[in-house]
Amino acid sequence: MIEVKNLIKTFEGRGQVVRAVDDVSTQVAKGEVVVIIGPSGSGKSTFLRCLNGLEEFNDGQVIIDGIDLTESKTNLNAVRREVGMVFQHFNLFPHKTVLENVTLAQRVVRQRKPAEANERAMKLLTKVGIAEKANEYPSRLSGGQQQRVAIARALAMDPKVMLFDEPTSALDPEMVGEVLDVMKQLAREGMTMAVVTHEMGFAREVADRVMFMDAGRLLEDAPPAQFFTAPREPRAQAFLKQVL
Amino acid sequence: MPLKRHAIQWPWRGLLVVILLGLAASLWYATQRIHYEWRWERVPQYFAYRAEVSQDAPVAGRVSAVTPDGGVSRIAIAPESGGPLVTVTVEQARVKAGDAVAANAAVGVNFEWRVGPLTQGLWVTIWISFVSGFVGLAIGLITGLCRISKNPTLRGLAIMYIELIRGTPLLVQIFIFYFFIGTVLNLDRIVAGVGALALFVGAYTAEIIRAGIQSIAKGQTEAARSLGMSATQTMIYIVLPQAFKRVLPPLAGQFISLIKDSSLVSVIAITDLTKSGREIITSSFATFEIWFTVALLYLLVTAVLSQLLFWLERRFARSD
Ligand SMILES: Nc1ncnc2c1ncn2[C@@H]1O[C@H](COP(=O)(O)OP(=O)(O)O)[C@@H](O)[C@H]1O
Ligand SMILES: [Mg+2]
Repeated sequence: MIEVKNLIKTFEGRGQVVRAVDDVSTQVAKGEVVVIIGPSGSGKSTFLRCLNGLEEFNDGQVIIDGIDLTESKTNLNAVRREVGMVFQHFNLFPHKTVLENVTLAQRVVRQRKPAEANERAMKLLTKVGIAEKANEYPSRLSGGQQQRVAIARALAMDPKVMLFDEPTSALDPEMVGEVLDVMKQLAREGMTMAVVTHEMGFAREVADRVMFMDAGRLLEDAPPAQFFTAPREPRAQAFLKQVL
Repeated sequence: MPLKRHAIQWPWRGLLVVILLGLAASLWYATQRIHYEWRWERVPQYFAYRAEVSQDAPVAGRVSAVTPDGGVSRIAIAPESGGPLVTVTVEQARVKAGDAVAANAAVGVNFEWRVGPLTQGLWVTIWISFVSGFVGLAIGLITGLCRISKNPTLRGLAIMYIELIRGTPLLVQIFIFYFFIGTVLNLDRIVAGVGALALFVGAYTAEIIRAGIQSIAKGQTEAARSLGMSATQTMIYIVLPQAFKRVLPPLAGQFISLIKDSSLVSVIAITDLTKSGREIITSSFATFEIWFTVALLYLLVTAVLSQLLFWLERRFARSD
């Protein structure tokens, strides 16, 4: 489903070049859940953003469901609608109600009729347990509720892949569970997911593979049982010691 | 113990009243000193007045009777050519029984309400401001988008236009637009005036809109793009609505300024509120009264507009 070959992304700032993603290659099969962990600034977000073309990368290849993002005839918008993304800070549209947040892209991108879009939206809002807030504005919702709406908004496009960039990092501790529950359910239903998170419990329970990044490099890629009990890399060992 | 001390308000209110009264008194004293005679009763006729419209006799003949009937008079005319009496109803008869009248000669007058020059000028000011504000908003939106475009040509043009307009006085722009561009393109003075105002307000609006767009968090664009929306769709559905809401207060200020700045088009002989005022003064000699009235009318229009925008702002605040 996702294929990454020798991906390189650099940022230039104040005279120095940061290799945010440094020669990363990996594959994610259909229905697989990969959790990406690593210290802050190790390039996890940048890697994820390269997967749906939000970030233009310098070199390498990203292939989503057989479509090469780097090929000049590829329509990035068409790829992005197949790849849902959930952000750390939710990024709901504040001037639209919850329902409109979930229907807007369905109507303008997927060209669905309003009735059809509404029906799909209500089904998803019910699924994430927030249907009763459909007509509220996002500012009236708690962080956990907003993040669940953001997930519903991404799912409304019927994506083939879901990317999560630290979806629970901006939440109060008591709201983390409700968001993780929604994500676990998605994983059980067979969604292909790439999740950047610091929730090691989630990684243990849900992930098929854990990827460890440091300084832009993908250092370790192993099943959670193996990664959490016997990490090969010394840096992964040090990182785990800190977070566990 | 109360945390907030309640400051005593009434002495300050009293002081305010005293100061206002003092100002009014000195105004009165000043006009006394220059022996100015206030003639406020002359002002209303410039808003609306009752014009005399003469009523003609339909046939030649002799007036046989003039009968007052309530507020009007009925004039019965015996036609020269014989036949039955012809009756004409007027508000004020100018003939009496026995007078001979020619066909199409006036026999009396009716009174009709007419719009006075102040009202006409006010209307011109309002619609000129409205049209140029609307066009200016469109220019500003396009220029603002060009200003942040990645294309160097568009960006360069936008910057040049904005700097050119913001660096020169509006009065000079109006003259250039009228005497140069207007002559070359053979423009009507109204078109030249509206065009100059629209270009002027467009440059300022562009900067306001640019700042508004740039104030919208990057995450909004990223969320929209990640849903597969194109750059244009993102701009239309996500960024501009939020930016517009945010720039409404400075935009409102800009349009209120525009109403006042529109008085400058009177220099190219457009009869707006200011020019009407000047014309009236030459015939009425009520200089002070007319200028005060004109000022009050501008104040009225700007106050109504700012109330309207305030209301709009509150409606947009629903999602906060
Ligand atoms: N827009 C940007 N401009 C310049 N440098 C950036 C930008 N985004 C990220 N970086 C740099 O790239 C590196 C990786 O960042 P990021 O992917 O956000 O890490 P993580 O998500 O793992 O914390 C960091 O050193 C960061 O400073
Ligand atoms: Mg990050």
